[in-house]
Amino acid sequence: MDVNDIDKCVKCGLCLTSCPVYYEVCREPVSPRGKVQLIAASKRQNLSISRNLENIFSQCLMCGTCTQNCPSGVRHDMLFMRMRSQIVHDFGRDWKKRVLYHFLSHEHQLKLAAGFAKFGRNTILEKLARDTKLGNIQIKNMPRVNKVPFRQQVPGVVEPAGKPRGTVLYFTGCATNYVYDDIGHAIVKVLTTMGYRVEIPGEQVCCGLPMFSQGGFETAKSNILKNTKLLDRPDDAAVIVDCATCGYALRNGYVDILEELHADPSAARRLSSKVKDISEFIWQHFDELEPFLDPEKPKVKVTYHAPCHLRNSQAVGTDLIEQLLEKIPGVDYIRAADTDSCCGGGGTFFYDHPGTSKKIVDKKIKNATGTGASLWVTGCPECRVNLSGNLKNPESLQVIHPVQLIEQSLKK
Amino acid sequence: MINEEIKSALKKVVGKDRFFDDPEEILSFSYDAFILTSKPDVVIYPETTEEVSNIMKIADRENIPVTCRGSGTNISAASVPVKKGIALCFTKMNRVIEVNTRDRYVIVEPGLINGELQKVLAKEGFFYPPDPGSINVSTIGGNIAQNAGGPRCLKYGVTSDYVLAMEVVLASGKIVRVGSRNVKDVTGYKLSSLFCGSEGTLGIVTEATLRVVPIAESHRTILATYDDLEDTANTVADIIGSGILPAAMELMDKTVINVVADASGMSLPREAAGMLLIEIDGVEEAVEKEMNRIAEKARANGARDVTVAHTQKESDDLWAARRLAYGAFARLAPNCIVEDVTVPVSNVPKMIKATREIADRYNLHLGILAHAGDGNMHPLIAHDPKDKDELRRIEQAAKEIFETGVSLGGTLSGEHGIGLAKAEFLPLVMNQDTLDLMADIKKTLDPKGILNPGKFV
Ligand SMILES: Cc1cc2nc3c(=O)[nH]c(=O)nc-3n(C[C@H](O)[C@H](O)[C@H](O)COP(=O)(O)OP(=O)(O)OC[C@H]3O[C@@H](n4cnc5c(N)ncnc54)[C@H](O)[C@@H]3O)c2cc1C
Ligand code: SF4
Ligand code: SF4
Repeated sequence: MDVNDIDKCVKCGLCLTSCPVYYEVCREPVSPRGKVQLIAASKRQNLSISRNLENIFSQCLMCGTCTQNCPSGVRHDMLFMRMRSQIVHDFGRDWKKRVLYHFLSHEHQLKLAAGFAKFGRNTILEKLARDTKLGNIQIKNMPRVNKVPFRQQVPGVVEPAGKPRGTVLYFTGCATNYVYDDIGHAIVKVLTTMGYRVEIPGEQVCCGLPMFSQGGFETAKSNILKNTKLLDRPDDAAVIVDCATCGYALRNGYVDILEELHADPSAARRLSSKVKDISEFIWQHFDELEPFLDPEKPKVKVTYHAPCHLRNSQAVGTDLIEQLLEKIPGVDYIRAADTDSCCGGGGTFFYDHPGTSKKIVDKKIKNATGTGASLWVTGCPECRVNLSGNLKNPESLQVIHPVQLIEQSLKK
Repeated sequence: MINEEIKSALKKVVGKDRFFDDPEEILSFSYDAFILTSKPDVVIYPETTEEVSNIMKIADRENIPVTCRGSGTNISAASVPVKKGIALCFTKMNRVIEVNTRDRYVIVEPGLINGELQKVLAKEGFFYPPDPGSINVSTIGGNIAQNAGGPRCLKYGVTSDYVLAMEVVLASGKIVRVGSRNVKDVTGYKLSSLFCGSEGTLGIVTEATLRVVPIAESHRTILATYDDLEDTANTVADIIGSGILPAAMELMDKTVINVVADASGMSLPREAAGMLLIEIDGVEEAVEKEMNRIAEKARANGARDVTVAHTQKESDDLWAARRLAYGAFARLAPNCIVEDVTVPVSNVPKMIKATREIADRYNLHLGILAHAGDGNMHPLIAHDPKDKDELRRIEQAAKEIFETGVSLGGTLSGEHGIGLAKAEFLPLVMNQDTLDLMADIKKTLDPKGILNPGKFV
């Protein structure tokens, strides 16, 4: 661990209230500053690893808001992941987490889970569910799992109508593959309409972020290397991601982790420069899409939730997405007061700390509902699970990916 | 040390969810934004005045030190529990009790974040003027105890100018109420002023009634850049001296401009030797006129460029960038010390010149930042605490900076307070009789010396 990283923190406290967890809990140890100081103390051997420390570090959404707001340039994300890694190393982890962890690290098990009618309605996850809830989310509000994984529903290559402008690689992520095939189909449709040949490599595996954000660096490494090898192709126009978290992993996480593990990050660095979030890609190539949009599309009120891993970790700002939304015919965009704040899902946070998570998400829901919108777009399937899972009235405010909104606005 | 019996009595007051004595919690209360550290024995988060009073009764009986804390952003170790004991943290006691814009006051609990209050007031077209750089994180209780100021205090005054009334728990656990809801009130001593700036050594603020002000009709943010730092400072003295009263007038030297540009990602004039960030507010016609006069003065004093922010967002971004200065300065080295000497505005040019000269002589990495319009200097010193020689040089330089400030008719601290950081320098500005008076006041209110002991009184 690099001690200097910790020394960068001058304890100014400017990161306190923008931390969604601190804002609710109001206790210094869970604040970003507190966590950094606890790490510093444990480095200096003034504090030993304990269950309590584990609990404190689990009270984090890994949202990156602190890093974004720290004037001294402290890299909380890396510091926290390392700390989690050390805790995992010293303690192992409790069985509940291990189950989910296992799920995410083994594709074939996720495929198995996908065989069940509903995510969470299987014996293992049933045990996880407290009463009828998985964390803060009612099981009945959990999304249905794709009948067949998305990547098996589509060919490995989809050609556009005319001569292709270029080839894009599509990294579907686990969520689209197993849960939200609607996002996958929308992406293929929009990109081919824009004139791209879409290639969906079948051998891609989970991006690895769920593992490494829990501190499982070594477990994540083989996934990182597999994906990097598969996607590092200099001639393609871009590597498209639809999940803010996968995007964060492919763009920044891979390089950081490989460096951390003293592995060669050069391929990951090349890949990083190719990765584009789908909304960002569309925005940058809007002229290629515009002729296909239906100007007669009836108006619908839309609001936006900015995923942390998009705005903090990939620098795809809310202003960019808002400008894009404003250009889509039929969109009557209304900004919610807290568009830019975390939804409180945070990987496994929503079931580790359901009370805090619920408070955070309820505030988001109140503000989004307050806009009067009927569509709530967000470019992260994880946020979508959490937001839609907590809506009391999911029919009146539907949570979808921006690319689905765009697909709906295409000329028929 | 606090024995188990006392611990369980304290725990009974707030319940087990708001009482902590685990190593992690205690460590998190050993610091604030200054460099000194010391751990408390227990941490308690009260939510009501009664709880505070009951805690104080136990502390009084058992002779246990009590150190209050808001967000722990003060830069003078004011909230560090140097004599251990109880850290009493107000972050969970943070409600807005009443907003009354007709009578122009709000009643709030001490743990409320200043910025949260501003959000509530903005909806009503009002604001609460004290705006420390830590506005989005520091608490009203901490602001009161430090008598916090900020950029716009140039025109509007500091915290004590806005505290109308307070509820205070004394060391004995007694609950007193001082002041009223009226701006005009000479009913007895103005006791509320006694607690403003007392750094938690005289009493514990559990509720505050604050004066609020309507947001001005018009605003302008002006940026003036210079090739010479002296010209920058002269402009400040000239503008204020000529009777113009901007809401805020901030000065940055080249080093500060560059770290702020790095941290905020904003394009600022990186090659300039000095920069003024000026805010004016009022009715549109007056603002327009003042703006022209300010621009004229700036140019007459050698500004090479004077621009006006075009949009609200541009102006907000500039002020947000300004608030990053302190933390951003720490990018240059592991730590950053900020001094707070304040001089009459006509002496700002002399003070800045002297500070630069002292920094060069001691070979320090020093940048100059100032709420220049009211003479409040914030020289920032980036350093590595492990470098003992550098620390020694900083200490000597700081002493010279204080002495220079005092010789120019100034004072030790404009807004950050004394705490531990500057306690030894008090004799520079106060004679023994004055120091004794402070000690007498302390003894009257806190005879056992259990409130924030080990600090400047
Ligand atoms: C980046 C940065 C910029 C800053 N800019 C400014 C600035 O422009 N102007 C300025 O004035 N200050 C500034 N400060 C200093 C600091 O933010 C202020 O002193 C602020 O008022 C402290 O508030 P807090 O809630 O953090 O209080 P803390 O630091 O927690 O406590 C401060 C003092 O208040 C006492 N206290 C807290 N609550 C109570 C209570 N309820 N009753 C009695 N005593 C209590 C504590 O014991 C302590 O002595 C800045 C600090 C930082 C880090
Ligand atoms: S903002 Fe950065 S430097 Fe300041 S306390 Fe937080 S982590 Fe430390
Ligand atoms: S990553 Fe998010 S939740 Fe975690 S400490 Fe930082 S701001 Fe808080």
